Amino acid sequence: MSLSVLICDDSNMARKQVLRILPESLSENVQLATNGVEALEILNNQPIDVLFLDLTMPIVDGVGVLQGIKEAGISVKVFVISADIQPEMQNKVLDLGAKAFLRKPVQLDVLTTHLTQHDIL
Amino acid sequence: MPDNPFCTTIAEQLNTGILILDLEFNIVEWNRFFAIHAHKDAKDVIGKNVFSAFPELPQKWFERKLSSVIQLNTQSFCSWEQRHHLFELSHTRPITTDSHFMAQNCTFLPIVTDKVVNHICILIEDVTDVCHYQTKLNKALEELAKANRIDGLTQVFNRKHWEECLDQEFSRARRYDHGLALIMFDLDHFKLLNDTYGHQCGDMVLIETAQKISSLLRLCDQFGRYGGEEFAAILPETDLIGAIDVAERICREIEKLVINFQDKNIRISTSVGVAIISPNDKRYEDLISNADHALYEAKATGRNKVCAAKEIEYILEE
Amino acid sequence: MKNFNLNEDQQDCLQEIINVAMGQASDQLARYLDTFVYLKVPSIEQVSSQHLSDTLKSEAQSVAVVSQGFFGYEGIRGEALLMYQPKDSDRLADLLGYEPDELSVEEQIIDLSSILTTTFLNVFASQIDNQMSYSAPRLLFSSNSDKNTSSESSISEHIQHNSFNWDVALKVKISYQVTDYSFNCDMILLIPESAIINITSVIDRILEEY
Repeated sequence: MSLSVLICDDSNMARKQVLRILPESLSENVQLATNGVEALEILNNQPIDVLFLDLTMPIVDGVGVLQGIKEAGISVKVFVISADIQPEMQNKVLDLGAKAFLRKPVQLDVLTTHLTQHDIL
Repeated sequence: MPDNPFCTTIAEQLNTGILILDLEFNIVEWNRFFAIHAHKDAKDVIGKNVFSAFPELPQKWFERKLSSVIQLNTQSFCSWEQRHHLFELSHTRPITTDSHFMAQNCTFLPIVTDKVVNHICILIEDVTDVCHYQTKLNKALEELAKANRIDGLTQVFNRKHWEECLDQEFSRARRYDHGLALIMFDLDHFKLLNDTYGHQCGDMVLIETAQKISSLLRLCDQFGRYGGEEFAAILPETDLIGAIDVAERICREIEKLVINFQDKNIRISTSVGVAIISPNDKRYEDLISNADHALYEAKATGRNKVCAAKEIEYILEE
Repeated sequence: MKNFNLNEDQQDCLQEIINVAMGQASDQLARYLDTFVYLKVPSIEQVSSQHLSDTLKSEAQSVAVVSQGFFGYEGIRGEALLMYQPKDSDRLADLLGYEPDELSVEEQIIDLSSILTTTFLNVFASQIDNQMSYSAPRLLFSSNSDKNTSSESSISEHIQHNSFNWDVALKVKISYQVTDYSFNCDMILLIPESAIINITSVIDRILEEY
């Protein structure tokens, strides 16, 4: 059975970039969210296995989503994919429970490595 | 220099200095332009540290400047307007300038080999001409600006500049809670004088009146021509009594003044309005308005006299 | 005057390229300046040269403006205006890694502006398989200098003198905030119509891949 995936990014182009390099086993059950509010709504209403999360988004940003997940005790593997790559930010998201931080534009080999490391592939 | 014949020819003929440094700031290469203007031999330069070959360089600044080029792999610049020159190179301009060193525009370029910055290229452009003419232009512009502040006829501040001064003084007085007084002068029956004796006479009267009033003000007071026959003075740090005192003295002196025009003795008087900054005044225009009202009062009650804004206030309150 | 419009996809693509460039540039900067650079999502707007003076005037009170031209391959070029309000200009030297008396305030502003402009545009260029060259940065206005011109008239004059180059320009507003030193800087990229057309072709090429 394939895993359920949620891609959250306010940029259409960025969402497409992730979709494009998703391995087959993750491509069958994919949902898209354009901001943190939408993402949390989906996460609260159905089980999502993997979340690809952008940081800079309107209304509720990536950090807000991570906090929301922590507070609600939602079980999901979060991979942050962001343009803001400063060490402070990377550490912050990892402390908030993200499995890994990937810098944009995300490369296939980098994604594969991280997914493998966290038992998704 | 690489074996490419174009590069060699260009580098040697170029009217720009080329200096190549390694990451330890040792000089790896230079070109003919540099050699000629630095009056140094290659043996004292190539392979040597740039700071020992050119001790005039501000070492700490230079190192930090180059560090941005190396670390960020990006160009950096230094123009003659910030630093006249970095390297003490002689210029060969036919014009005499203030400095015998070349004014320089410097560009610092990262040189990448194997994906890493390993060298820095410094380009030195001789801008001695530009510096010379730009400096002259700036001086001319300064003089032009000064001329723009002055009223052509009377040589006191023109209205525009005077108002700008008042604006500044007003803000300053507000900010530091200092006093500020405004005196406005309007020559009496000036139109009649012009009609009777002609405009040339009128002009002379304005010139001499302005001179007289100026001579009775302090250096810190700002005096300007407000209108055709109106003048105004800004007196910083002055209270009402002090301002009235000055105004009355000026009024008497103008009354005594005799202007000689084509063998005629012309006499003139002036109405004067005085106001000082009050807590109610929100902008400098309010101060002008108060002085103006006082001036009007002076005109309406006989001319050749001084009226102060506060006095009128009392009258109105009664 | 031809009206130039990016469609939603093109705008989205450009925005994303700029976001990525911002992220990388901020990181480089943060490491060089040894501080944390706060990222704000950039805004993209189309402006006509007539309205440019107005839009620039509305950019709060700025203390200094530095202009730097940039040009790359395929006719991609423009001018970067950095509008900048240091709350404590003495600390700029410190931020840049110099002693306070080692360089004048003007030099500090120009240096910092050049670094901000070139790091961002270098990354932006690499995102679109291009490479940028730069003209020397020029200080258009500084409230610290003896010049009495207001920033508004300076900038307006500057635009008027160059307005024959373009009718419509792309205004990309990028805000840098360096938290340790509490200074703000806005970068406005003026890209003339002819260059926007070239950028659009590049964007379309990228979009085709998806």
